[in-house]
Amino acid sequence: MDPIIYNKIITVGVYGSAIGLILIGLYAVLVKKHLTKIVIGLSIIDSGVHLLFIAVGFIKGGTAPIFSPKGIELVNGGAQMVDPVPQALVLTAIVIGFGVTAVALSLVIRLYRHHNTARIDHIKSLKW
Amino acid sequence: MVISPVHYIALPLFAAFLMPLLAKVNRELVKIIPGVVLVYLSVVSVILMQQVVNTGQPIVETLAGWQAPWGINLVFSQFTGFLVSLMTFMATLIWVFSYRFKKVDNEPALKYYILFMMLVTGSVGVVLTGDIFNMFVFMEITAIASYSLTSFYRDRDGAEAGFKYLLIGSLASTFMLLAILLLYTQVGTLNMAMIAERMHTVPTGMKVTILILFVTGLGIEAEMFPLNGWAPDAYSQSPSPVGATFAALVVKAGVYSLIRVIFTLFDIQGAYQYLIVMGIITLVIAEFAAMKQTNLKRMLAYSSIGQMGFVLIAFGIGTKEAVFGALFLMFNHAVIKSLLFMSGSFFVYNSTSKEINGLSGIGKKFPYMGFLFSLGAFAIVGLPPFSGFWSKLYILIAAADESMLALVAIILMVSIVEIVYYFRVVAKLYFGKPTDEEVVHKPTFGGYFSMTVLAAVILVVGFYPDLITGFLHRAADTLLDKGAYISNVLGH
Repeated sequence: MDPIIYNKIITVGVYGSAIGLILIGLYAVLVKKHLTKIVIGLSIIDSGVHLLFIAVGFIKGGTAPIFSPKGIELVNGGAQMVDPVPQALVLTAIVIGFGVTAVALSLVIRLYRHHNTARIDHIKSLKW
Repeated sequence: MVISPVHYIALPLFAAFLMPLLAKVNRELVKIIPGVVLVYLSVVSVILMQQVVNTGQPIVETLAGWQAPWGINLVFSQFTGFLVSLMTFMATLIWVFSYRFKKVDNEPALKYYILFMMLVTGSVGVVLTGDIFNMFVFMEITAIASYSLTSFYRDRDGAEAGFKYLLIGSLASTFMLLAILLLYTQVGTLNMAMIAERMHTVPTGMKVTILILFVTGLGIEAEMFPLNGWAPDAYSQSPSPVGATFAALVVKAGVYSLIRVIFTLFDIQGAYQYLIVMGIITLVIAEFAAMKQTNLKRMLAYSSIGQMGFVLIAFGIGTKEAVFGALFLMFNHAVIKSLLFMSGSFFVYNSTSKEINGLSGIGKKFPYMGFLFSLGAFAIVGLPPFSGFWSKLYILIAAADESMLALVAIILMVSIVEIVYYFRVVAKLYFGKPTDEEVVHKPTFGGYFSMTVLAAVILVVGFYPDLITGFLHRAADTLLDKGAYISNVLGH
């Protein structure tokens, strides 16, 4: 296959699946009634955003952004380094997402014990 | 030890992680250490503010030896310094208030103070940082601590309020992350000064998209309509000192980040008008909703949302006087709303229900508490000679100067609504028929102390507004001077 078309397919595929993940997650958060499914939806949205981050920083054929003798040699030979900033950001974002999911699940457990149900339409002591 | 803005972040965070260990040594340490840290930070605030005012230059602290565009930096300017000092002083008073707080006295005191210190770290960090992704991280620290504090009591509907808050909050943080990503692809940097410098290269359509994502993400903590559904539940279900903390720290951090993004990063025509429109909608809806409430804490929460709408309007007018008024209102809101939450919580404790009707005649049982609550109520609706009068007056003058007379009319009309629902409570306190219930929990000494200090601040600032107007004027100038911010941070 022609490498240019191949690259295009890959690019569209990666960006498309990232946006698809975000939309699937949003659907789950907005439509699903079960608390656990909502938390899973939040987690899926996070994954989509993380994938988008990685895709933005990617350069095809780029080397790792490390200032080692080998890396400097490669750059002098005309190779490009991938952008390290999005990768650093995504690591932080994954950790934060993990923390939020953990808090969310513990709240789900608390809600389940309190109301004896995990369906959001059955929990309505705080309607306004 | 050299005093630097880093202490604001390092010390509370260190204390928060040290506390589980200290609790094994001595349980009292858990309660004392946060106070030591916060009192120290208040002293730091005084020293740094003095230094900043004397030199007229902001303190820019680079972290880990990486210079400005590459590393993370902290900016302690007259504007951020003012907000940080306000937050630190309020946090100290809230610590005094909750030192022997009834419910956190026993086992969960450890959890409470850990989360409280995390909250302080996060909201102070949001204001100090000069890096947009770092701001996101601090925002998340604040948010996670707030979720947990909202659901602190097991025997209330805290978990439901906390889950609602978490749902809105984590969607918002996703939007903010997307905005940061798009911004990074456009300008290739995360440093806020550099972003502001390069912003003119970004196409307008992209700018608007990014700004909308930012506003959605940050408007949650700033309680902007329609993203404020979490606020009434969170305020009413969380422990009372936490309600004061939300009003004094979390919301301030949210408004700050929104203002920083709109004023410094973007220069879009129409963003200011957008702020005014959103502010008016927030103000009107919240004040009318507050009038309908029968639960005291929910009423205070809606009033808090309304005040934030008012702050957004004032920032949206965008002139120097208006920004000055907005900052004055933020100061007043932190002080007065904390006083209202603190004194209101004692009434709620001493009545069997949380309803306003259950407060009938309680002001006669607690004359001093009744006096403090009435003082707060008079101050927040803007009666002279209290401090709330001045902020409202300055904002109205600024609006009139810009010949936005419809805006003046709306603000004054909404003020009447505000007066109606606050005076209804005050009337109930004094002229209602006292109930025979004798469930008397006396406020602690710390409670009396912090509430008296807040009341004194309201009165003193009301009589001598010149005490703080100097700081506020300089803070407003610093916020509006974008070029100085860029050159100070980037050093050229």
